[in-house]
Amino acid sequence: MSAVIKEAAHGKTLVTLRNLNKHYGDFAAVDNISLDIQDGEFLTFLGSSGSGKSTTLSMLAGFETPSSGEILVEGRSLVNVPPHKRDIGMVFQRYSLFPHLSVRDNIAFPLAIRKLGSAEIAKRVDAMLKLVQLETFAHRRPAQLSGGQQQRVAIARALVYEPRILLMDEPLGALDKKLREDLQDELRQLHRRLGITIVYVTHDQEEAMRLSQRIAIFSHGKIVGLGSGYDLYQNPPNAFVASFLGNSNFLRVTASSHGAAAFEGQSLAIRLTSGLAADQDALIMVRPEKALALSTEQATREPLPAGWNEVNAKVGEVLFLGESQTCQVVTAGGTEMTVKALSAAGMPMQPGDTVKVRWVVADACVYTEWAESDLSKAAGAH
Amino acid sequence: MKVAINALHNAQGADPGTGAPRAAVRRPPLSQRWRGSRNLLPALLFLGLFFFAPLIGLLLRGVLEPVPGLGNYEQLFANSAYARVLFNTFSVAGLVTVISMLLGFPLAWAITLVPRGWGRWLLNIVLLSMWTSLLARTYSWLVLLQGSGVINKLLMALGIIDAPLEMVHNLTGVVIGMSYIMIPFIVLPLQATMQAIDPMVLQAGSICGASPWTNFWKVFIPLCRSGLFSGALMVFVMSLGYYVTPALLGGAQNMMLPEFIIQQVQSFLNWGLASAAAALLVVITLVLFYLYLKLQPESPVGNAR
Repeated sequence: MSAVIKEAAHGKTLVTLRNLNKHYGDFAAVDNISLDIQDGEFLTFLGSSGSGKSTTLSMLAGFETPSSGEILVEGRSLVNVPPHKRDIGMVFQRYSLFPHLSVRDNIAFPLAIRKLGSAEIAKRVDAMLKLVQLETFAHRRPAQLSGGQQQRVAIARALVYEPRILLMDEPLGALDKKLREDLQDELRQLHRRLGITIVYVTHDQEEAMRLSQRIAIFSHGKIVGLGSGYDLYQNPPNAFVASFLGNSNFLRVTASSHGAAAFEGQSLAIRLTSGLAADQDALIMVRPEKALALSTEQATREPLPAGWNEVNAKVGEVLFLGESQTCQVVTAGGTEMTVKALSAAGMPMQPGDTVKVRWVVADACVYTEWAESDLSKAAGAH
Repeated sequence: MKVAINALHNAQGADPGTGAPRAAVRRPPLSQRWRGSRNLLPALLFLGLFFFAPLIGLLLRGVLEPVPGLGNYEQLFANSAYARVLFNTFSVAGLVTVISMLLGFPLAWAITLVPRGWGRWLLNIVLLSMWTSLLARTYSWLVLLQGSGVINKLLMALGIIDAPLEMVHNLTGVVIGMSYIMIPFIVLPLQATMQAIDPMVLQAGSICGASPWTNFWKVFIPLCRSGLFSGALMVFVMSLGYYVTPALLGGAQNMMLPEFIIQQVQSFLNWGLASAAAALLVVITLVLFYLYLKLQPESPVGNAR
């Protein structure tokens, strides 16, 4: 979590969530969340459905009232301000354009509400149409546009009144992959150009990585990880984040002394970890792409370098995935591991071969506390 | 009727919106569009034999009896008593449409907004009133509204009025009774329209800065427009041709067109004048229907597709 504090030191805080709660009866949809959102940052709420990310966004927009806690924008409380007075922009999952208005009138709607002069409205709408490249579609109705075009109208409508904060609730979820990636690039550029603060909700971790400067990972109504995509992936703060983001290999070990642990009767070197006592159970996490699988001959040719670990395993399955290849292996004690390598590097293993799996000690994270449910991929939802 | 209206306006609404060039591309050649129309023949034959033939026969009587010519129509418009009947018909139909709309709108909204189970209950109550015998309902109003009826007695007991109000056997009674009967015909299409509105669109309106009041007028009402239109049209057209309720609750002096037609047929055997009046009703209805289609260029819930 140290990375978070470093990040936070940059800009100034625009939005503060303080001990925010949302209960539906006994059920805590949002459970005591505290978060600072920096001015001008692109922050993504990432989590599976039901993890509380959308509820938090709804509270920011004003569609849900917090059960308790505070939402502050530049020190001013927003809790009792109705949505139409918050001056926040929002892009919805299903676009939610006004079906009875043309593209132009949809974008002009927030300005007409604010009673701007018609010349000013026309000027701003034209600029927006240009920004989202929909000049030629200005007179169409939303129903006559494709999903991607509709979403661009929705973005234009949310930006035209120049809100300081833009909320986006899985805005690209309904689009196909190629279009989604194009719009992700457009969004990132838009954010860079406008310098607006964006809070983005998604369940797609690749999207979160692609877009955001910081990611907040939600699980069971709590933020369980906060930081840049790089930090969260390379150094997950806990086993849940490790298993949720990307793929991971977990090895159950018992700490023996400082910097060493026993794995299935074999001694492994581990990172120095504070709070880890001798004989305590711990968990080692190695990313599949950080591990190497070597055949017995390769292993004898290349002796184990210092600072590396090695375990013996048997190959279960080798899969070719295009740019990469994965190799499922099982250790003598029954622990399953996955090793991933670029196809170009080659992995000449056959099922049943004995291999040696190696990794750099410093690349493996060590956790002293975890729940069994954290280790399964489906974790995170209520 | 509702289905027919929607089908018609969808078919017609698709073209003007998309713009000429695309429509030209999409529309297949005439021969292809009418391919398979042979299957329509039995239905057309049935319709022609049992609907159009009698209708045309009736309309012909208007110009053939008692002597060929437009004499019946002349009489209809020139005679001030007959003109009065026309005026009554239109003002009652208009008033009934407005009143049932004012009462039906909040009811439809309530059905949409209350939790699911409750909404079905409310809707069932509306439907139940629609399925109850028309005569029974009309007579109930007679009992309620008459000089010695419950409403008059209550008002007098409360000291609000001294003498009973005359609420039946005049147009007041007709308007009250018919508004009640027409409410379901507003509520059903309106409720269907409201149900189809994406609540997120209203949320989008409010986050764009629209206060609840502005949101209602600028977003909600325009989205309800198709339901309002089809409901209002149905009520207006039905009111123009309604017979039972005006006959029971109305008076002899203030007649409406259907009563007038019945009177001409049953009392005076004047088939010519009666069919001229009936033809007038048909034409008015067709004109209204045409206007409705003209005013409804787009699908009610275009975004949902």
